[in-house]
Amino acid sequence: MTQLGEVLKPIMMFGPELGLLFILILHLMFHLFSTIAPKNFIRSSVLGLLLVSVMLWLVFPYAGNGLYGMFRLNPLATFLKGLFTFSGIATLLMAGEFTEKLGDRANDFCLIVLTALFGSFFLASSNDLITLFVTIEWITISLYILTTFLKQDAASLEAGVKYLIVGAFSSALFLYGISFVYGSVGSLFFSEIRQVASAGTNSLLMVGFFLILAGIGFKVAMFPFHLWVPDVYEGAPTPTTAFLSVTSKTAGFTALLKLLFLAVGTEFVNWPYLLLFLSSITLIYGNLAALKQTNMKRLFACSSLSHIGYLLMGVAVANRLGVEATMYYLIAYAFSNSAAFLVIVIANRELGSGEILAYRGLAKKSPYLSGIFFIALLSLGGIPPLAGFFAKFLILNAVVTSGYLWLALIGAVNVVISLYYYLSIIKEMYFKQPTSKDKIGLSPSIRVFLFCLAAGIILLGIVQEPVLQMVRFSTSVLFR
Amino acid sequence: MLRLLVPALSLLPLLAAGAVLLVPSNRSNLIRGIVIGTTFLTLLFSLILVFNFDQSMSSFQFHTYIPWVSSLGISFHMGLDGIGVVMVLLHGILSFTGALVSRSINQKIKLYFVFYLLLVSSIFGVFTSLDLFFLYLFYEMSVIPLYPLIGIWGSQNREYASMKLTLYISLGAVLALVGLISVYAVSGLQTFDLLILQKASFPTPFQLWCAPLMIFGFGVIASLWPFHSWSPIGYAAAPTAVSMLHAGVLKKLGIFIIIRVVLTLLPEGAKFWLPVVVVLCIINILYGAWAAMAQKDMKFVIGFASVSHMGYAFLGMACLNELGLTGTVFFMFAHGIMAALCFALIGFIYDQTHTRMIPELGGLAKQIPFISVCFVMAAFASSGLPGFSNFVSELLIFFSAWELYRWPTILAIFGIVVTATYMLRMIRNVFFGELKSEWNKIEDARGFWGKLPYGLLVTVLLIFGIWPSLLLNIIRPTTESLIQSHFPTSQITADSTNLNKT
Repeated sequence: MTQLGEVLKPIMMFGPELGLLFILILHLMFHLFSTIAPKNFIRSSVLGLLLVSVMLWLVFPYAGNGLYGMFRLNPLATFLKGLFTFSGIATLLMAGEFTEKLGDRANDFCLIVLTALFGSFFLASSNDLITLFVTIEWITISLYILTTFLKQDAASLEAGVKYLIVGAFSSALFLYGISFVYGSVGSLFFSEIRQVASAGTNSLLMVGFFLILAGIGFKVAMFPFHLWVPDVYEGAPTPTTAFLSVTSKTAGFTALLKLLFLAVGTEFVNWPYLLLFLSSITLIYGNLAALKQTNMKRLFACSSLSHIGYLLMGVAVANRLGVEATMYYLIAYAFSNSAAFLVIVIANRELGSGEILAYRGLAKKSPYLSGIFFIALLSLGGIPPLAGFFAKFLILNAVVTSGYLWLALIGAVNVVISLYYYLSIIKEMYFKQPTSKDKIGLSPSIRVFLFCLAAGIILLGIVQEPVLQMVRFSTSVLFR
Repeated sequence: MLRLLVPALSLLPLLAAGAVLLVPSNRSNLIRGIVIGTTFLTLLFSLILVFNFDQSMSSFQFHTYIPWVSSLGISFHMGLDGIGVVMVLLHGILSFTGALVSRSINQKIKLYFVFYLLLVSSIFGVFTSLDLFFLYLFYEMSVIPLYPLIGIWGSQNREYASMKLTLYISLGAVLALVGLISVYAVSGLQTFDLLILQKASFPTPFQLWCAPLMIFGFGVIASLWPFHSWSPIGYAAAPTAVSMLHAGVLKKLGIFIIIRVVLTLLPEGAKFWLPVVVVLCIINILYGAWAAMAQKDMKFVIGFASVSHMGYAFLGMACLNELGLTGTVFFMFAHGIMAALCFALIGFIYDQTHTRMIPELGGLAKQIPFISVCFVMAAFASSGLPGFSNFVSELLIFFSAWELYRWPTILAIFGIVVTATYMLRMIRNVFFGELKSEWNKIEDARGFWGKLPYGLLVTVLLIFGIWPSLLLNIIRPTTESLIQSHFPTSQITADSTNLNKT
């Protein structure tokens, strides 16, 4: 990590944030002072995000402090920002396929996605608990709005209310925990909490830690704070569901990693044992719940719980290998899930239903769409040579190397359980005859994007070294 | 240059699959041409490799080594030993004949051949990989194409059969994966390279719990009792070429990997657990034969027969001596050709008659003499008649097992008698007796391309039956050095050279 030169410092430090802010304000102005079609609105914001990701690429190797130490630029932060930007682009493109339902408020939808993205940038760079809290709230409040976006749809409103209540409760826990931490440490900077935490047992800090952990547990939907997931995922507009399942999850894990590795350290109150246990329960619960689902989005809600289980495993082993595996898993998951949800958005629109049975014979209606879905599902199921396989391989490798054979066996058996429901979707698409003959047409831009996602899934599974190097470089800041 | 042929075996079908994807789906002849051409080339490559295989060397030959994920010690390492090269030849023959008999596929041809080529490519990958990561990667990759191949183009009960098969084999695979990763973790060498790991020694307690994960995990695909139930139903549902590859090669992957990984890395664990396998494999032999007696569907008969036959392969391997191991490898080759021939012929009959039920057929020999002759040959081979390669290999297995496992061997020999009973009974009922009037119109295989797949397989069976040393000379140095370096105490002195004359 190179320290920035004095002159370049402020520009480079906040470059991506400033760029994103500029795009946000520009589009707000567009929206206020001109009538611009949603298609073009989305196109220009996606273009803007691509520019932001170029900037992220440029600042990737650099590190530095800003805003009186509250903002920390380092490779990990930049890496996470890249992941957020990627899922933001995917969500915007999904919104572009969802404009019929969003109607004339499609532009609002995009603006809120951009706002949430702006918040997530600061989350990635947060260096103290209060920034962490504020940025998580920032994202969550954007998600409340996105969840209830279909004002005419009772399911959407119900999902929003549920999410709001659970979210408010978890925020309260989080904030309450912060107050304990402040009481015992006298500061909210991670580094100073770390000093107190490593000094010895501190019951006040412990209470605060567990409250914060519970608060974050709600955000990442860790067992036993997961019950809101199926309803909210099913009721929310599909692009929001995708945003929830990728961005919100990445955000939650960012917060979790910062809390566990930067603020308290791996020695504190033996939290790895707690997480090992919770990860296996989350995994098993999610998979068993997914077996019986008939609605596609609900199935993905349950299966996302199982992915959270794997992600938590990597965190719970509390070493470099585990965190690297978790990061790789997040990337693989972002690619696979974005591809899957993009297909779901289009298919639900064209088929007029979100039930799995409606996907019957999709392969006849659109070979391209079902081919991409096939790859995405197998990747989520952990089949080589796709991204999901290597991610699961890394997780299992970390778990076995750390000596938790029982957990590895649970993880391995669950791969097969998840394979059952993923293959069942493939069965509907490929083995059955469609009920109607109409074909599904795809716009060229979506074709290209789907192709890129599928290529990404395959490349992440075959050419692992470059991404793994990046992951290793960025996560090294957590272990010093 | 020759060593490049080894990765080419996997890469060529993969590239061809990509090429097929780009061809418009209505150009079915072009697609078939690409597939048959590709599989012919891989057959040619495997023949070149067999002929250029240095029989005086017991180590791996034709190395390709590319560091892949160096931080984890994963490398793209390929190479062949005597066992691998024989299996590659088997797979080369079967994938080519499988492509030839895939003529009967007439819907969604493009998709079918894409999955077929993926299957072919990944199986070659398993036989040639010398890196545990890639070995597993190719192994799991070979299981997944079966799901759509059986589910879309299969016959009765295809959805249930394909799901059951995929889940069973995947469950075995992931458990074995935990075992493989444990080997990596415990060795502390930071490498997945098999040849480096073979030099490490693992603590005995670790071997004792790790070996069963892999023996039973990979044993699932070799249909070890009680993990066999996916197998007959899977074959019955699968399209002809897939049954051929599945019974012929895929099943052997399990035993092949156990020989290559478990025997060389975890010899203590293997010594402890293989006697358990002996008990299970005798149940395999007897139960499979018993179940085959009761079947009316020809494919189920052959399906259960192959469950039964895999017991012999396990028995030979469990002896942990040179003779038994050589016998097992030769048996895998012979059985692969024989089982594939049976499935190919049943597929031919089914395409003509649209039934596989034995009571509904009869007297077909008058109508389709060529197919009938081939089938009779296959049945003779299956029952272990002298002159066919199955006989030689079974003899090797029984000789080596006799000293070590007397009663199991006697039971296994009894299994041969049962095999002869149901095979001969099936021949009588299907090919001889009164010709039913509804089968007056069916036609025999005609022309060079029509007869080629069946003729080729019968020829191979006969050549290696009459002249087994062709293959045995390739296999023996490898098995010899494997046993000597990993099981130095369990040598039994049997002069196997005499067997070549049979």
